[in-house]
Amino acid sequence: MKKCKCKLGSKLGKFLLKFCGIFVALNAVLFIVFFFDLDGKLLFNVVEPFLKKHYDDMERKDVLKEPYDLDKFPKYKYDM
Amino acid sequence: MAKMNLAKAVKDFWYGKPHTAEEGGRRLGDLYEDKTGLLKHREWRGVKDTFYYMYNIWGYNYVHMVLDILKYSNNPIDFLKGTLRYRWMGQTYLPVIHWFERGLQGMRGEALAASAWHYRAMVSASIHQICNFFNADTRLHGGKQNNAYKHTFYANETTCGTLFYPWMDAGYQYIPMEMIPYFVTCHVNSHTVLNYIDAVQSLGLPGDPCPMCQAESGLFVLDDVPDSAPLIITCNEACDASVSTHTLQDWFANKPLFALPLPMQFDDPLVKKYCMNEIEECWKFIEEQTGVPFSWESMKKRLERQNKLQRDEWEKWEVASKTDYYPINGVAQALFRIYSTQYGIQGDFWEEASEKVKKIMYKCVEKKINPFPQTRHRVIAWSCAPLYYSNWCTWAYNCWGLNVIINMDSLMFDMEIRTDSYENMLEDMATYHMWAPMRRMAVGGMHHIFELWDYMKRFNCDMVAMYDQLQCKGMQGVHGLFEDEFRKRNINAFWMPHALPDCRTVSRAEIRRQINDYMTTVMHEEPLDPSLLDFDDSMTW
Repeated sequence: MKKCKCKLGSKLGKFLLKFCGIFVALNAVLFIVFFFDLDGKLLFNVVEPFLKKHYDDMERKDVLKEPYDLDKFPKYKYDM
Repeated sequence: MAKMNLAKAVKDFWYGKPHTAEEGGRRLGDLYEDKTGLLKHREWRGVKDTFYYMYNIWGYNYVHMVLDILKYSNNPIDFLKGTLRYRWMGQTYLPVIHWFERGLQGMRGEALAASAWHYRAMVSASIHQICNFFNADTRLHGGKQNNAYKHTFYANETTCGTLFYPWMDAGYQYIPMEMIPYFVTCHVNSHTVLNYIDAVQSLGLPGDPCPMCQAESGLFVLDDVPDSAPLIITCNEACDASVSTHTLQDWFANKPLFALPLPMQFDDPLVKKYCMNEIEECWKFIEEQTGVPFSWESMKKRLERQNKLQRDEWEKWEVASKTDYYPINGVAQALFRIYSTQYGIQGDFWEEASEKVKKIMYKCVEKKINPFPQTRHRVIAWSCAPLYYSNWCTWAYNCWGLNVIINMDSLMFDMEIRTDSYENMLEDMATYHMWAPMRRMAVGGMHHIFELWDYMKRFNCDMVAMYDQLQCKGMQGVHGLFEDEFRKRNINAFWMPHALPDCRTVSRAEIRRQINDYMTTVMHEEPLDPSLLDFDDSMTW
């Protein structure tokens, strides 16, 4: 078979090769993350402790200081 | 010999290792890291299923979680702000893919694919709810009551979403207040809820009522409920402890509130009439608060979709009960069903998943594929399940061949709602409302808790997994009656003690030990996978 020597063909070939290379590399990385549960390990060991600390340190309203306004809203009349 | 080993290695690589110890088993228990329940590595399920899991479940769901946020959120920045504001959000929903892992462990082929669609629908519905919370939350919008806020109803999570269909054409939405902050969190990350249980006990309230009620109150005590709706519909859930919950919620939420009771003695026709009146009163309350009238068209349209979903479920149950070709595992069945019936038709996620599952199921029927080939016992699970270990069914199948075919949570709303007239609809709505989670068959009276025997027969089950919620006074009261009936009817049944959301009271390891004891001492059986008998996952999500 005659090999295409035109510039476009060679550029396309290189692009396809590069694209396939990136595709394979990306999938290999994804597979490593997936297979070794790296996402789970990251979330359990790093993200969750960080978030826990964040929520523990958060200032919160003391709801017990809120009055229980039983009469704030008009009385609802039952039509039964 | 070396040739045989090579052939086996190639076969194991291509198809995955076989299930049972005799065949050189896959030893799933060896995959766990000690205590955390994280995986040293994921299971190699053979080429096809490993890559199906990687691309079509793991990768697909990560991508679709982002797409769902973009689809349902008015502004994705709000989603980020909400994540940093609410513990139940950030701490819980990041490890959601690990929730899939726990529920789908060891599954292959059609069981893996079909069960994962149920999980996908639940994740999509959860993101839908979370976005609805955050789109309307005044705390994330500088105290402003925006349009989304004005078009949102808050309701207790056991008040069925069906009640709010009449206002949906007018752009209203319903958010079950505790479903995402409490119920779903326990399944995904059981650590989160402990903060809320401890918060309510720190006020001096006793620790012995149902921990569900404690956690739901604790959300308010820690000021961790978004301010996303101008009004609330509460109910007494299944028990008296919940009445106290709603007193606290009334206090802390400080909004116009309508209490819509779930009657205890619901078989009485007069009680039903009372319930119908209550529902109409509730609708009147909403009309008064919103100024928008009840729309029959809006109601009917959604009820018809809900009825179709129910008929789909009956179709699936028919296959589950009469054949070995039902591809959904116990946990995916139970959670999908309780979640979809409570949240109702608020998107198309339930219907989409149901269609996909039916397609897989009929493929199994046509090609006579048994998705759970190692089934030794067909199990029906009864009463309320441990939320922190809902995936026990997956473990039980992998370890002992116990295949949970159906469970009480799936069967509670076993009905259609008529749409031929307003009167018929209202009558059925009352029944539907009264058959609420934990009410109909848990504390709903002798007739209903003993529907177990009929369902056991209908689903062709030979064993009962009897949940034993230690802090549910209602169900504790009938423990002995069940024991008597099991003996009298010569039924194989094991008890599973638990404390609903609180994994500290009865650990997962203890639940497994109880089942192991029953299977060895009473059933005299050997485990399919001995590596799963005893392992420490005390710190797991």
